[in-house]
Amino acid sequence: MLIPRRLKHRKQHHPSRSGAAKGGTTIAFGDYGIQAIEPAYVTNRQIEAARIAMTRHIKRGGKVWINIYPDRPLTKKPAETRMGSGKGSPEWWIANVKPGRVLFELAGVPEPLAREAMRRAMHKLPMKTRFVVREGGGS
Amino acid sequence: MSEVKLLATARTEFGKGAARRIRRADQVPAVLYGHGEKPVHITLPGHSTMLALKHSNALYSVELDGKKTLAIAKDVQRDPIKGFIEHIDLLEVRKGEKVTVEVNVHVVGESAPGTIHVVETQAVQLEAEATNLPEWVEVSIEGLEDGASVRGGDLVLPEGASYQGDPEDLIIAISTPRASAEDEALEVAIAEEASAQSAASAAADES
Repeated sequence: MLIPRRLKHRKQHHPSRSGAAKGGTTIAFGDYGIQAIEPAYVTNRQIEAARIAMTRHIKRGGKVWINIYPDRPLTKKPAETRMGSGKGSPEWWIANVKPGRVLFELAGVPEPLAREAMRRAMHKLPMKTRFVVREGGGS
Repeated sequence: MSEVKLLATARTEFGKGAARRIRRADQVPAVLYGHGEKPVHITLPGHSTMLALKHSNALYSVELDGKKTLAIAKDVQRDPIKGFIEHIDLLEVRKGEKVTVEVNVHVVGESAPGTIHVVETQAVQLEAEATNLPEWVEVSIEGLEDGASVRGGDLVLPEGASYQGDPEDLIIAISTPRASAEDEALEVAIAEEASAQSAASAAADES
């Protein structure tokens, strides 16, 4: 599971969810990718679940890149707690994903296999995504 | 590749408001510069520009006020979600002039069974004549074994083009995919769980 080794502030504000991705909107390493078309907070568990879904389907056949990193902690107050008494304790690690961001990339497998592997991974993610193919990379 | 004709009109108003009005009218704001001349701000027709940009490194003949200028697309800004063209930078070129452009790498053939190829450099920098720019560079990986690689110096370039990077630059690497220890442990755990479940269901059937 992806977790930062150290961080400057243990409890942070919620990151902004508005706007589109400024970078990382095209496929940089592989041949196929999953692109976000909605904003979302993606937790490290969701990233791991998507990665496992993909790698198990391709059966060691290709190479997977994860282009997002869950570097923001989100806090939660315990259940049935009265308001006040300070901020809750860190509960999740999230990556702040904006529309347009390529989340995962895949190479070394034929397109139908990549499409199916990524479809399975998309089901583990909390927002609408789409399958993208590298531009000008056709064989 | 032959020239693609684009009929441009000069732009008189600037800024995001004007640019958005241009885009709403199915046109594309663009800028034309090069050879130390002052940049010329132009508007291009949306549909034909989109079709022209389907070919990478195409040569455009931009007609502005009856004057034709040869140009190549230096930079294309697209909307990250919808994919429509927001702005184009056109670089003025002359016949016979050599320019440096990025050319995509196309992989042909299959590497040895059980291996995969990873394109480490997806686009290579080539110097070529502006009027004869290659659309892509083909790299054959037919029969390459695990551990083999294709480097910048190994590229078979089109006539008149020269490679601008380091000849030792890695372009394509051939490897055998290996699962990480974590994945292997997960697979073992899943197999054990499945066998335990099947044993439990078999015992329930017997009783």
